[in-house]
Amino acid sequence: MDLISGIQFDSFAEFLDMGGYSFNVWAVYGLFVVFITVNLYVPVLRRKSLIRDLKRRQTLAEQAHGAEVNSAGRHKLEEAEGNS
Amino acid sequence: MWLWFAKLGSPKWFYELSTKWLPWLTAAMVLTLGVATIWALLYLPPDYQQGYTSRILVVHVAVAGTSLAFFPLMAVAGTITLVWKMKLADMVAKNAAALGAWFSFITLATGSLWGSVSWGTWWEWSDSRLVSMLFQFFLLLGVVSLRSALEDSEKAAKACALLSIVGCINVVVIKYSVEWWNTLHQPASPVSMESGSANGPEFWIATALMILGVYLFLSVSLILSTRNEILQRERKALWVQELLADTKSGRG
Amino acid sequence: MKPHRRKRLGIILFIAFGLSVAVGLTLYALSQNINMFFTPTQVAEGEVPDGQHFRIGGMVKDGSIVREDGTLSVNFVTTDFASEVPIHYVGILPDLFREGQGIVAEGIVDDRGVFQASKVLAKHDENYMSPEVKAALDASGASAENHMSLGEGGGR
Repeated sequence: MDLISGIQFDSFAEFLDMGGYSFNVWAVYGLFVVFITVNLYVPVLRRKSLIRDLKRRQTLAEQAHGAEVNSAGRHKLEEAEGNS
Repeated sequence: MWLWFAKLGSPKWFYELSTKWLPWLTAAMVLTLGVATIWALLYLPPDYQQGYTSRILVVHVAVAGTSLAFFPLMAVAGTITLVWKMKLADMVAKNAAALGAWFSFITLATGSLWGSVSWGTWWEWSDSRLVSMLFQFFLLLGVVSLRSALEDSEKAAKACALLSIVGCINVVVIKYSVEWWNTLHQPASPVSMESGSANGPEFWIATALMILGVYLFLSVSLILSTRNEILQRERKALWVQELLADTKSGRG
Repeated sequence: MKPHRRKRLGIILFIAFGLSVAVGLTLYALSQNINMFFTPTQVAEGEVPDGQHFRIGGMVKDGSIVREDGTLSVNFVTTDFASEVPIHYVGILPDLFREGQGIVAEGIVDDRGVFQASKVLAKHDENYMSPEVKAALDASGASAENHMSLGEGGGR
């Protein structure tokens, strides 16, 4: 199939018109694009805010434990917390 | 076998594997959806009766068919939750319910937009295919609200798992409604390998590609939200803490 | 598998199986109510109580469409290739309405035996063809089999 001659429309206006069913055809494809975009973009945004939030908690936890807990000690502590 | 099964249930293992796979899945999704959409809009021949409204059915059939996968998926995940108490299975099930509700809604909306010109009606309460699909939409909303209504997260997981298993019956009803009863909705189209005949490849290749693309989209979206769920629920685990320490704020 | 897990899996399978059977039996019992329409044969055999509002589904018989000039009034005959029912309708018909097309009409049979429709919907079958293929099939007389496809699911 030829990429140009295989196209079903002779003009751009005809393409937009979709044989007189432009509202229904384009509404469906519009909905489809919104559906896909929302369901990919929302988890991506959520991930960003989640990581920001978790990092803030991490920093707060580190400050709370104070300077006397070194890095290795912190890991042990949180491991115990995670298992509980 | 059991070792592999136990490994599969580990959120850390899933997170690391999906980090590797996501770029490939996303690329495949963009490519497939792009080609299928362009093919459907530009190259799909008009139907002798519907004209160009058959372009609607490429999207409708792909989304509708894929929407039937949600209850079986949630039922399998639910059974694993109930029997083996695997954490990952419940995380997948939780996010699948909301996505499945979206799929059902888009199925109903695109179907209405086709029916309003082809059948002469947006909606028919007497059609068992239409009503059973609407029921699936409400059932999925039910699973979502059941999860948020129950405060005890373990109880919520169990209740949702049971509802998901029961909901599979409706999937069978949706699938066979057009064969068991007479309906306004047409049955599934046969597929012909012969070019230039009724239901030939020039009619179904765009739809076949679209189905593949929509399944890839389902996977990518579900993996993305499951990864968020893992970070949220496993936030106290050492590997998540280390992962956070390695990522720059808001990135990675 | 550990015994307590096997037991739990057994309970789940039992509940799922029991519910499926219950739903299956209910749907079977309700099946005539779930059907969207009666076929012309069912109407001819008197399965529809007199004076009742109902839906009928069939093909528009070739050459049966008679329109009244200047009005939206139309008469046609619907058939399932075994029985026929004449239909009268006043209103706008869907785009797919034409001879040889499956339709579903909603209304009531009057005392002359004519189905007075208040709504006419077009059914689309599961076959997709380009206009060229359709023309070729018509020329060879092969499209009759496509016209039969309305019967799918009907009256089972």
